[in-house]
Amino acid sequence: MVEPSLVLYGALYERALGVLDETLRETGARYALLIDRKGFVLAHKEALWAPKPPPLDSLATLVAGNAAATQALAKLLGEARFQEVVHQGEHMGLYVDEAGEAALLVLVFDENAPLGKIKLHGKRAAETLARLAEEALANPPKLNLDTQYREEAKALLDELFGN
Amino acid sequence: MSTINFANREINFKIVYYGPGLSGKTTNLKWIYSRIPEGRKGEMVSLATEDERTLFFDFLPLDLGEVKGFKTRFHLYTVPGQVFYNASRKLILRGVDGIVFVADSAPNRLRANAESMRNMRENLAEYGLKVEDLPVVLQVNKRDLPDALPVEMVRAVVDPEGRFPTFEAVATEGRGVFETLKEVSRLVLARVGSGA
Repeated sequence: MVEPSLVLYGALYERALGVLDETLRETGARYALLIDRKGFVLAHKEALWAPKPPPLDSLATLVAGNAAATQALAKLLGEARFQEVVHQGEHMGLYVDEAGEAALLVLVFDENAPLGKIKLHGKRAAETLARLAEEALANPPKLNLDTQYREEAKALLDELFGN
Repeated sequence: MSTINFANREINFKIVYYGPGLSGKTTNLKWIYSRIPEGRKGEMVSLATEDERTLFFDFLPLDLGEVKGFKTRFHLYTVPGQVFYNASRKLILRGVDGIVFVADSAPNRLRANAESMRNMRENLAEYGLKVEDLPVVLQVNKRDLPDALPVEMVRAVVDPEGRFPTFEAVATEGRGVFETLKEVSRLVLARVGSGA
């Protein structure tokens, strides 16, 4: 079967944003993202004081790739999964945790954010987001895109790639 | 299946360039990156070895533009072609919406083309997918080689039933690159809203 697509919208999306926002406040992290396992950003929040983030597409893609590789490593070693992943450099750090089977929570933090808080609140947030993702998967929205969408998209393909 | 972000009104598609090592997958992406105007593309990410062989993947996000109020975007990936990187290759296929299979026209790569296609079928099967379930476009690359095999011969080993739209290409010069991408994009978009 084709992997179900995780779509957040409406109240669920707002709740996800609320969780990300609260996590930023509790941890002092710069950016919080909820991404799917394919590497697409589902929701993100930035701390008001934080400088412009790096390209989120690249960040999400690399994190998803990394998480997939980590999961494959766990299986090789006979583990069902490895818990959260933390990368720490001189000034910046990255926390990644599973938000259920279909999504990942990503926190980007600097040296002012205590790692203990990042892990504690990151774990809590990931659990809440996992429940939201489960709800979203159980109630996929109907996408009312019709032939007109396809026609308009085709016109844009001509424009971008030539006739 | 496409990823839809209703909040940002975005529809995202994942297109993967597959094929044997050194067939020109990364070259396709580099050409696309060099020709797409700023503002319609993001940063290209390459996870490669020092000798520029793809280690994990290349990644290039493209903006098609806004369609019926939805920003429509393509995420292009390549897989590492070398046989021993299969674990990485499998991971990249997760959630794929469309595939470009880049085959090599060199006579001594005919077997590698066939093996790569077989490997792709096996890896898709691990996600419960069949090649027949997905939009796949075949690009027969390196048509400028003096001893390039006839397209039909390459096709006979990777697509004997003649199912996939096929394009000849010289990716180093950009020949056939956009045509291939446009076709796979068209096929992927054609499935939107069709329940596929």
